[in-house]
Amino acid sequence: MTSPAAPTEGRLACGREADALVAQVAEGHAERLDDHQRDCPYCQAALAEFDRLWAPVRAVSAHRPQAPDGLLDEALRSIRGVASDPEFGSITDARGRTRISARVVEALARHLASRVPGVRVALTRLVAAGAGPETSLIADPGPDVVAGVAGGSTVVAITLAADYGEDLVDLGTRIRAAVADGVRASTGLEPVAVLVHVDDVLL
Amino acid sequence: MSAPGRRSAPDDRRPVIDDEADRWLVSRARTGDRSAYEELVRRHRDRIYRIALRMLGSAADADDVAQEVVIQLWTAMSGFAGTSSFTTWLYRVVVNRCLNHRRSQRTHQELSDADHPRVAGPERRVLAGEELQAGLTAISGLPEEQRVPLVLVQLEGLSYREAAAVTKTTEATVRGRLARARATLMSEMKDWT
Repeated sequence: MTSPAAPTEGRLACGREADALVAQVAEGHAERLDDHQRDCPYCQAALAEFDRLWAPVRAVSAHRPQAPDGLLDEALRSIRGVASDPEFGSITDARGRTRISARVVEALARHLASRVPGVRVALTRLVAAGAGPETSLIADPGPDVVAGVAGGSTVVAITLAADYGEDLVDLGTRIRAAVADGVRASTGLEPVAVLVHVDDVLL
Repeated sequence: MSAPGRRSAPDDRRPVIDDEADRWLVSRARTGDRSAYEELVRRHRDRIYRIALRMLGSAADADDVAQEVVIQLWTAMSGFAGTSSFTTWLYRVVVNRCLNHRRSQRTHQELSDADHPRVAGPERRVLAGEELQAGLTAISGLPEEQRVPLVLVQLEGLSYREAAAVTKTTEATVRGRLARARATLMSEMKDWT
């Protein structure tokens, strides 16, 4: 029920503008009464009513939905083009063979590199279809994260922007260790090289 | 403490935006670096989806618009002058896409509603909570000129200045439209119990 004393436009019986009270509630200050409001039943009633009516908007504001998993993958795939995942590494054991896409290694390497303190952003990119990993790395020296995989070995190259003030040589060492250890532990592939290219430093 | 290039949110409604990192990624994406573009999308995907949901009030419509935006941004990337922040440009693209989506949907509904009864979609299951649903419905029913500033300022936490930049209007216009949106919502919610 709406109180007759709480119009959303015009003035209340006490002379206060309803718009101002609506704004007070919308900005989350319903409880912050000024001198007039502390003694005014019209303002207090209107504020209480507006606060109740505003609850659904507050619920929307508090709701932090995340994009559903996979929602944007199809759109990104269409941008990336087909045949963009041509390479696999393989781990063979007594019970069979596991094939690991180069793209998985790249995503893992990017994730691992991004978590190293001092790395602002690290990138990933696929080796061109049909090219061998070493050849691709030599022919394309400015990759983002490029994972070439052949058999049980992999070569990872990372391009990144670092935080300003970092010791970049030390940062490269830490990235190499984190990426090599992480790739080995997660995939079983042996990173024979982790190449780090610091493209920029950011404030 | 955040780095100087990272903007802290004015309140907890906005996650930290790293303008410097965005700028670096945009500069690479503009030269055709798809991986840089993918990283931009990863960083902003929830924002894109959230704005669309708040503008349209429907999870299914938000899904459609978010996918369209990802493709549109890539094709438009070379035309992004970089005079505003990437986030401002992103907000503008998403908002305009939502408005276009709604307009085309309205035309489509006028043609087809009589023949096809409405069926509750997955959004009905996703959007649990009566308050939330009531809020989304009320907001999505606002006129465009009121809905946009309400979503940008009230819900996304942009300043009047930022919202004016997104909508290419003045701060005074944003303030006026937001005030009208709030009054309209209060009026529309009078049956809410």
